[in-house]
Amino acid sequence: MSTKYEKEAPSYTMTTVMEEAARCLLCHDAPCSKACPAGTDPARFIRSVRFRNLKGAAETIRENNAMGAICARVCPTEKYCELACSRTGIDCPIDIGGIQRFVTDYEEQEKMDILRKGDSNGLNIAIVGSGPAGLQTAATLLQKGYAVDIYEKNEKAGGYLRYGIPEYRLPDEIVDVEINRIVNLGAEIKYNVTIGKDVTMADHDAVVVAVGASEAKMLPMFEGNPYVETAVDFLARVKEAKGDIDNIPASAVVVGGGDVAMDVATTLKRLDVKNVTDLVYEEFDEFKASKKELDATQKAGVTIVDGYVPTDVDGNTVTFKHRHLDSEMTIKTDLIILAVGQQVNTDNLGVDTDHGEVQHAGYKTDDEKVFFTGDIAQGDKTVVWAVRKGKAVAEEIDQALLGGNK
Amino acid sequence: MISKDLSVEFLGVHFENPFLLSSSPVDNCYEMCAKAFDEGWGGVVFKTIGPKHFKINEVSPRFDELTKEGTPFVGFKNMEQIAEHSLEENLHDLRHLKDDYPNKVVIASIMGTNEEDWETLAQLVTEAGADMIEMNLSCPQMTSHEMGSDVGTNPELVKKYCTAVKRGSNLPMMAKMTPNITDMVPAAKASMDGGADGIATINTVKSVANIDLDRKVGLPIVNGKSSISGFSGKAVKPIALRFLQQLRTAAGLEQLPISGIGGIETWQDAAEFILMGATTLQVTTSVMQYGYRIVEDMKNGLMHYMEDQHVEHLSELIGVANKNIVPAEDLDRDYKVYPKIDWDKCIGCGRCYISCFDGAHQAIKWDIKTRRPSIDTSKCVGCHLCNLVCPVGAITTGEVVMKPGTKGNPEDIQIESSRLTHPVQ
Ligand SMILES: Cc1cc2nc3c(=O)[nH]c(=O)nc-3n(C[C@H](O)[C@H](O)[C@H](O)COP(=O)(O)OP(=O)(O)OC[C@H]3O[C@@H](n4cnc5c(N)ncnc54)[C@H](O)[C@@H]3O)c2cc1C
Ligand SMILES: Cc1cc2nc3c(=O)[nH]c(=O)nc-3n(C[C@H](O)[C@H](O)[C@H](O)COP(=O)(O)O)c2cc1C
Ligand code: SF4
Ligand code: SF4
Ligand code: SF4
Repeated sequence: MSTKYEKEAPSYTMTTVMEEAARCLLCHDAPCSKACPAGTDPARFIRSVRFRNLKGAAETIRENNAMGAICARVCPTEKYCELACSRTGIDCPIDIGGIQRFVTDYEEQEKMDILRKGDSNGLNIAIVGSGPAGLQTAATLLQKGYAVDIYEKNEKAGGYLRYGIPEYRLPDEIVDVEINRIVNLGAEIKYNVTIGKDVTMADHDAVVVAVGASEAKMLPMFEGNPYVETAVDFLARVKEAKGDIDNIPASAVVVGGGDVAMDVATTLKRLDVKNVTDLVYEEFDEFKASKKELDATQKAGVTIVDGYVPTDVDGNTVTFKHRHLDSEMTIKTDLIILAVGQQVNTDNLGVDTDHGEVQHAGYKTDDEKVFFTGDIAQGDKTVVWAVRKGKAVAEEIDQALLGGNK
Repeated sequence: MISKDLSVEFLGVHFENPFLLSSSPVDNCYEMCAKAFDEGWGGVVFKTIGPKHFKINEVSPRFDELTKEGTPFVGFKNMEQIAEHSLEENLHDLRHLKDDYPNKVVIASIMGTNEEDWETLAQLVTEAGADMIEMNLSCPQMTSHEMGSDVGTNPELVKKYCTAVKRGSNLPMMAKMTPNITDMVPAAKASMDGGADGIATINTVKSVANIDLDRKVGLPIVNGKSSISGFSGKAVKPIALRFLQQLRTAAGLEQLPISGIGGIETWQDAAEFILMGATTLQVTTSVMQYGYRIVEDMKNGLMHYMEDQHVEHLSELIGVANKNIVPAEDLDRDYKVYPKIDWDKCIGCGRCYISCFDGAHQAIKWDIKTRRPSIDTSKCVGCHLCNLVCPVGAITTGEVVMKPGTKGNPEDIQIESSRLTHPVQ
């Protein structure tokens, strides 16, 4: 039995997935496919499901998106494919994520091995960071015949797939399966190496910096406070322990209003924390978190108070003031979690960032051997965009080193 | 993406894959066939070309569909005859298709009213460069009774016209048979006697699909009236497969080359036709509904099926199921198999109970409190209607028992079918 923290939403069966696929209008020039940042081509794989070709559906997903089973679970589909879906003109969009999950589960059940390593071209690429961007870059390069070494500062690969997104939304097992596919393709992952600090890269034909925004932001007033933990530290700690952590607090206060804050608040509720209060800078009409995440968090029983900023803290007692109203609130709590954003650290990596990203488009630096991708490149900060950027940087490297020729 | 050789040899012609557009509006001009080739079809049977003197004048609207609950196009009715384009245009298109797509197979479908017509048309399409001829002996809604299924149900005429076509051309030729006949074997044999090299079947089934309840007219309504006309699509697949089986098991026709037609839409349908003896496969209705693109999943799915079956060439699968379809009197009637209900999967809807009571043998007991069904083996005949209606696949085959007074070992009875299981739990 999985715990409340671990439990994933149920998946389709063969019958119910056909019912959902039957709702698809099989559009001409399908808007859903045009709206997928990674080019996963939902219209194509839904059509394969519709015509009972599950293996073909799995091929479409996997070949277009090496994180297919992960995106199926964590994509903010309401911003991408499902936003574009023509079916909305009748009722509600096709559950594209759900169908993708069914197909990738089938792929795994049938032990399909879809990706093929390209014939070796003798070139060797180093990738710094094993988040989705680094993994997709590796998958694309390996298929093109490059050798790939991935350097990861942590003990395990996956970046925020591993240490950020909670188990009930993305089981660790799925992350393992996806990473194994890329390891089986030939990626060498070297763990516990912080590039820039421990070693630098010399003997590679190119280096891709895919370090994400892997450090938490702190607010000065909370610095050194023993009751305070950052969102990503907390989520990593809970995920590692599969929800089985010591000293579950009776109450918690979350500061922040993005999707990460929603994950923290919902995780706390799944750990049976009785009172979870989330105080958010933005007011509801300017909220950052997706509507889906916000609804799920409120449904989980989290009290969300909008428009407040922390002004003072004394140990476990925090005071918030409303940004416009003459209103103040002081809460004493067992745990204060800061979900106020993550920051980038590219020290000694040859990539300059500002406000969390490189300040020019594309994936190249002044050094012709150094490339970058993922959250530190311009564009959305989501897994599916990490996939898009991973595919794109691999193409750029191939262009730069081989002119795109085989 | 999997890649396997789907090529077949049929009547001495090489097809890069067995998927062909059947003769109909889906391939009635150059642009359509060119697009279909570009999207991966192996060949086309160009829309039936008639003699110059036969004037085509079509009705409007001309289609209707049979639906069931939320499913459109369960079956499709059409009132269309043969090519609306002129003979010259059609011959021109055939020629250009062959020039531009030398590796695709272009088959000319023809139809005449008398021997002379047939012979002339055969000659003309041969000169135009067609790879093969298909004789349309089977359209059920021609305005002339000298054409279509009225001819195809008359073995004498079939033989005569086949002979005429063979006089006009030495191309390989298949005769397209109508299903509006009790036994197709005499017509098929007559065509072979007349020189046909193979059979294409089925054409459409005569039908009245729906009646407008207010106007009391069949659909589609053509200025207040309607006609009996051809039915196609998914609903006719069982009828088509039955004819394939009967042809391939008739004495003397065991190796009959067949181009299978009728309700093909998925790779599974395609595989079924091949297992029942088809070498090539023709499609219309599902293309009309979904477009040429359906060939992608048919080809890819068939490749995966070959891989799963450890088969390198489709020829290894042709007709493999024919021997396993036997006369009803030859089936084993010595046992029955009880259904088995998985109560963990069961969601307590009671559909099995209703169907067993109202449509079978009152053999399911219903626990009103727990909402769980159980089988009363004293009444159950093992028909497995319950299996078919259960919405969650909770009912499968269970214990096999020999009937009183019979010999045999229940363990030797083969009843497993992947039809009874769901691929993903
Ligand atoms: C809690 C949380 C929930 C999220 N939920 C979603 C969601 O539901 N859907 C969605 O699409 N996106 C979500 N995101 C965003 C998504 O996870 C990121 O956009 C994505 O992970 C970015 O990928 P990346 O590969 O660029 O970076 P990361 O995933 O951050 O990976 C970077 C990797 O580089 C390693 N690294 C860093 N520096 C070094 C170094 N110097 N040497 C070696 N290794 C180094 C890090 O340890 C890490 O493994 C979420 C993020 C968080 C934090
Ligand atoms: C609109 C329509 C027009 C057709 N016209 C022809 C024709 O000109 N010649 C012919 O041999 N068959 C004709 N057919 C029959 C098809 O080629 C095919 O035999 C039949 O539709 C069964 O296949 P399906 O279920 O894939 O549609 C026509 C069918 C339809 C639906
Ligand atoms: S846009 Fe929606 S309805 Fe159209 S093909 Fe995509 S999923 Fe189907
Ligand atoms: S389908 Fe095309 S040809 Fe037919 S009525 Fe509609 S627009 Fe006209
Ligand atoms: S039909 Fe299936 S789900 Fe419904 S009661 Fe019977 S066994 Fe249970």
